[in-house]
Amino acid sequence: MNAQMPVLIVVVPLLSAFAIAAAGWFNRRLCMPTAAAALGVATLCTLGLLLRVIQDGEVVYRLGGWAAPWGIVYRVDFLNAPVLVLVAAIALVNLVATSRIVVEEFPGKEGAFYALYVLFVTGLLGMVVTGDAFNLYVLLEIASITGYALIAMGRGRAVLASLNYVFMGTIGACFYLLGIGYLYIMTGSLNMTDIASFLPPLYSSKAVITAFIIIMVGVWLKMALFPLHGWLPNAYTYAPSSVSSLVAPLMTKVMVYVMIRIILTVFTPAFTFRALGLNQAVVWLAVAAIFMGSLMALAQRNLKRMLTYILIAEVGYMVGGAWLGNRAGLTGAVLHILNDGLMTFCLFLAAGNILYRVRGLNMEDLRGLFRKMPFTMGGFVIGALSIIGVPPTCGFFSKWYLILGGIQAGHYGFVVALLFSSLVNLILFFRIIEVGYFEPHSEHRHEGQDHAPSMEEAPVGMVVSLLIVASGLILAGLYAGDIVQRVVNLAIPESIV
Amino acid sequence: MKTIALIIVIITGSFLLYATVDFPSWGDPQSPASTHVSPRYIERTLEETSVPNVVTAVLADYRGFDTLFETTVIFAAGVACFFLLRAFGKERPATGLYRHLLTGVTVRIKGSAGLPDDMEEFERIDTLWTPYDPIVKVMCQRLIPFIQLFALYVIAHGHHSPGGGFQGGVILGASLILLSISHNFRIALRRMGERLDALLCALGVAIYAGTGALCLLLGANFLDYSALAGILHVDPVTARSHGILIVEIGVGIAVMATMVLIYNNLASAGKFDEGL
Repeated sequence: MNAQMPVLIVVVPLLSAFAIAAAGWFNRRLCMPTAAAALGVATLCTLGLLLRVIQDGEVVYRLGGWAAPWGIVYRVDFLNAPVLVLVAAIALVNLVATSRIVVEEFPGKEGAFYALYVLFVTGLLGMVVTGDAFNLYVLLEIASITGYALIAMGRGRAVLASLNYVFMGTIGACFYLLGIGYLYIMTGSLNMTDIASFLPPLYSSKAVITAFIIIMVGVWLKMALFPLHGWLPNAYTYAPSSVSSLVAPLMTKVMVYVMIRIILTVFTPAFTFRALGLNQAVVWLAVAAIFMGSLMALAQRNLKRMLTYILIAEVGYMVGGAWLGNRAGLTGAVLHILNDGLMTFCLFLAAGNILYRVRGLNMEDLRGLFRKMPFTMGGFVIGALSIIGVPPTCGFFSKWYLILGGIQAGHYGFVVALLFSSLVNLILFFRIIEVGYFEPHSEHRHEGQDHAPSMEEAPVGMVVSLLIVASGLILAGLYAGDIVQRVVNLAIPESIV
Repeated sequence: MKTIALIIVIITGSFLLYATVDFPSWGDPQSPASTHVSPRYIERTLEETSVPNVVTAVLADYRGFDTLFETTVIFAAGVACFFLLRAFGKERPATGLYRHLLTGVTVRIKGSAGLPDDMEEFERIDTLWTPYDPIVKVMCQRLIPFIQLFALYVIAHGHHSPGGGFQGGVILGASLILLSISHNFRIALRRMGERLDALLCALGVAIYAGTGALCLLLGANFLDYSALAGILHVDPVTARSHGILIVEIGVGIAVMATMVLIYNNLASAGKFDEGL
């Protein structure tokens, strides 16, 4: 079974989706445990795979037994193995953490919800594990369709936000597909490494350059890089909290992974960083994303909305880091995929907990929350410190590499943007902490009494999951050196210094 | 705003067109697309999979994993429609409308009582004015079996001629939707209930994925149909052909059930009491 691990991480959740959809019509209480079991198996497989990659290097799996250019292969290396672990683990923890909300929010539709949930995760895992450019598109479709449906079930303007996301997301996916089509015409192959082997003589071909650019624009649209971010804030704000804590940390990170994969594996650094000559422009775009994301986050009065703009700034971090084109920058970008996934997950999970108890996420709803929900706010503070970049949380280390990369590349605009964004995050989170810690709870203020509001935490499962994730942030920080040395460093080709 | 959008569209379009100047010329036998992977598909499909239709072999075998997920996309769309639109627990309308078949007189009955079941000369209708067209009804009734037969032919003959699970499944699903349109929603629902439909939807894709998983359990890679040789009592190459047929049947079931599921949810606005 060891040799089958690459495919099991996709197939087990896939098969479970059908079982869950069927179970929804007979016994809805079976849905969540089935999903949890499937994602548990997938998580174990991703961990096993990561260990195998660390031990033996790259793992290749032929689907249907067909060899590379004719059939589809899965290729697991140092770049995607850690991302797989991240996706599977976050999906599993979120599933367990939010199981209570789901029953309350979607009565009678748990079967459909969990089937879509598991399919979404299947799509993400498949996108990360695959070594075939077209297979990636098919899985992108799955992750997108299920994502739209899950987001549209939120309250308020969720349907409209999701529709907007459908339009933008479809354009992004089409651009990606069109680019792959151009590449197929020029190289006759869909396999990533195979395409790469045909490209060097074609580096100056207009069709190949166009293919690269439209693929990039498509991927940027899906990851909400400024100025293509318009769909994201509403979609993630109005999504149900069980969904936003799944989609927000994972979708953008996986798309950043896809971008790095295309830069490094399909087009090779020799094309992207040397032949093309777009580095500076893209890094400046990322700088704009960081500034705009941070500034817009400052203007928000709703916690979840503020987080979505921070997310947009974080996308700028990773895109900028990757396009600096040096080892430190790429290390920072890859490490930040992992760290940012964990950090945003932690914050959105905390927001979900708060929303469960307080029923609102505006600034005035957050008053006195440290008394009311001390553990949730504890987790929230750790997540916030990590986003700001305070050691020993993991956010510090990836930001360190990013800044280092910026200095080495001589791109001081990017360094300034990173420092500015850290400063803004500091203001943002300390404003929330101030409101939550010092301002009295709104209900009690009217009564004019001085007694402390009683503690009213979210359900145990939600709090425990949040605290596990929060401690994960610190652990990832403490082991950042090991992660960089043993995994991330080996993910970056040696031609990049 | 519209002007800006138009300008962007024109710029993007001309950019994409500009890139095509480097394309190999149309139908060029020396182009990479026709010299790299295609020759093997064209020359060796028959000996490797014993399927005469190259397109089917590429679709369901060489790149069968993509097709599995294309089918899953359809399944996901069906589940998404159900998830978003289905409205449970809506009470029945306060009045029921019944038409006397012989005279065409419409009877309105208040409350949820309804007519006794044995009064066969009455027919339940959904709106005050429901067209009663025996020609359409009878014609569709006669046509539907033939449409379905053709659908099965298309599914089964994907190996040899254009067709396969997707096309056949669409025709099959269309025949059931035709029943719903030409008669009424309730009759169609009596033929294929919501639960059965949803289960078939999952079952179809599960057949596909399950075939792949079976290969895996038999010691080969996922979707390597040659592993089925032992179970099917044929040689590994013929087993590939049979494997393709099995997954095509799965695709057909999934596509049919999903089409009906989406139609039912859309046409009845998720209430499942009356259709168009």
